[in-house]
Amino acid sequence: MLRDNRDQLVGVSVQGEVSCPEYPSLPASPYVIAADGTPRLLPSPGGIVYNVRVGDSAYGWVADMVQPGVSIKAPAAAANYALNTFACLGNDALVLSGAATGARGTVTGKSGRFAEHVICHFAPDVLEQLAIEDKILVRACGRSLALADYADVQLKSISPALLDALEVDADRPGAVCVPVVAEVPAFLVGAGSGLLSESGCVQIQSDDAGALDQYGLDGLKLGDVVALRDYDSRWGNGYRQGATAVGVVVHGDSPRSGYGPGVTVVMTAIGNRISPKVVGERNIATLLGLGSPVEAAAA
Amino acid sequence: MLKTNAHELVEVSIYGEVWPPSASHAQYQATSEGKATVGLGMAGISFTHRVGDAAFGWEADHLEPGVSIRSPHDGPEHALHYIACMGNDAVVTTGPSAGARGVVTGAHAHIMVDFDPTSIELLGIGDRIQIRALGTGLKLFDHPEVAVHKTSPRLLEGMRCESRSDGTLAVPVVAEIPSHLMGSGAELPPIYVDQDFMTGDRAQIAELGLDRLRLGDIVAVRDQDHTWGRGFYGGAVTIGLIIHGDSAWTGHGPGVLDLMSSRTGGIVPVHDPDANIAWRLGLRDRADATVAPGSLVSSYALIADEEGGMSGVA
Repeated sequence: MLRDNRDQLVGVSVQGEVSCPEYPSLPASPYVIAADGTPRLLPSPGGIVYNVRVGDSAYGWVADMVQPGVSIKAPAAAANYALNTFACLGNDALVLSGAATGARGTVTGKSGRFAEHVICHFAPDVLEQLAIEDKILVRACGRSLALADYADVQLKSISPALLDALEVDADRPGAVCVPVVAEVPAFLVGAGSGLLSESGCVQIQSDDAGALDQYGLDGLKLGDVVALRDYDSRWGNGYRQGATAVGVVVHGDSPRSGYGPGVTVVMTAIGNRISPKVVGERNIATLLGLGSPVEAAAA
Repeated sequence: MLKTNAHELVEVSIYGEVWPPSASHAQYQATSEGKATVGLGMAGISFTHRVGDAAFGWEADHLEPGVSIRSPHDGPEHALHYIACMGNDAVVTTGPSAGARGVVTGAHAHIMVDFDPTSIELLGIGDRIQIRALGTGLKLFDHPEVAVHKTSPRLLEGMRCESRSDGTLAVPVVAEIPSHLMGSGAELPPIYVDQDFMTGDRAQIAELGLDRLRLGDIVAVRDQDHTWGRGFYGGAVTIGLIIHGDSAWTGHGPGVLDLMSSRTGGIVPVHDPDANIAWRLGLRDRADATVAPGSLVSSYALIADEEGGMSGVA
């Protein structure tokens, strides 16, 4: 186990409400434009998604960037920015109003520009009881988490619980090794570049199916841990040779050019200080004990 | 001469105001090296820089050359962003510089208009500039697979494109930008502002020679389809215009405004060091334009260290 500063971290409440999917008002078009120019009317990100959960495929859903489980947002912009910045993957989420009051879930992702939700997992019976605008509090803890012996490896949006589950290990001097499902080449990272890396996500572009297949990215699941090669997310998101960002797949595919499954970054370093190790399976549904889709279906 | 539908296009007036630069109390921006800097370069009237000058090396972030305008009203502001085309005529309609004529050269946070500096010495913040918007809907009859964005008939002529016997369109460009460098703006449609190419890897930018680019240069981006969005697609080619200067923010850099795109390889970039709108549209002489001062790989907050990496100085 690598040493870190978790004993010095401050846990703080941030809060949002169960969101409702949104569309532009008239006379704006309700369509998203697919990469080939086809207008598509699709469920937009947000709300309570009953039948897609962490551990399911990131592809194949008839939706634009489906966010599994429950997407929450704070009504005021500044409070929502705090929610999206302070909430860390693996944090506890508690329902504070409505029929599901007291139910406990887990933060599994944060969505990017124009959505800006925090995405939470709750058990299927809780989803049945939740209503739009129910208050959900996140016990935010993990911001500024740092590895004591690896000052050049930055951690972001990651709870101590998820850090433990990722099984980050010592590699060569000054570098750490992280097990991941797949590696994403920099040229496939699209929307999210140039935006802030403390909140939101970047997207794996899926328009070129051949490229996705070539890099083994066509089988990604929601919750998978992946590495972005040559990608620097220390103070914003962007290309840099030798840099690595490790993240979690937080939302599903999109038909739009430059868009695709979203990845919230949890760790980054330049100079080859993160060595991704590709392993067969690496999903936060299993790592955080959120239950598999199969178990959920049987319940 | 390319066959187009230019005779069917409608020319319409839109307007903006010379927009003041703004600052906030939380003014510091983090560079890609984690240093705090104060941004300067966007909005207002750039007294010192015009299209044709170097895109790198200035003590500024996202430098907008010439005059930056926008509208205080949401609808007219979107009209500026959606239907102002590069190469459109502009005229000052208020204040002591009324009557001065310029040309649209960029669409970023503001629409950029180039003027002969002697004609706008008394131009002030808030003065109105009217644009004769023409170009939206422009089509190339012999190249139906080539999408045209924000390009006026005047710019199209200045670009000196040629139809080839194999059905492709040859487009003169100063340089090619590899797909993996395309950054901020991927989430936006190609008809709305620009997309930066990412310059955080300074050594690679220098290696590719992209640090010699100028504002107004026409460039190609390989394997990017910007017909309906902005993203990677093997074999696609996009043609863009460098509209603003370099940036020290991660994922940012000079802005590439989409002019044309072909998903299916219908565009063939042809190297041409003179493919810059400053001289191709007769806005100024190349001899008058500056080259980057100092180190070609430096920008205002970044200098090269001995190992070719970068360290912040701000």
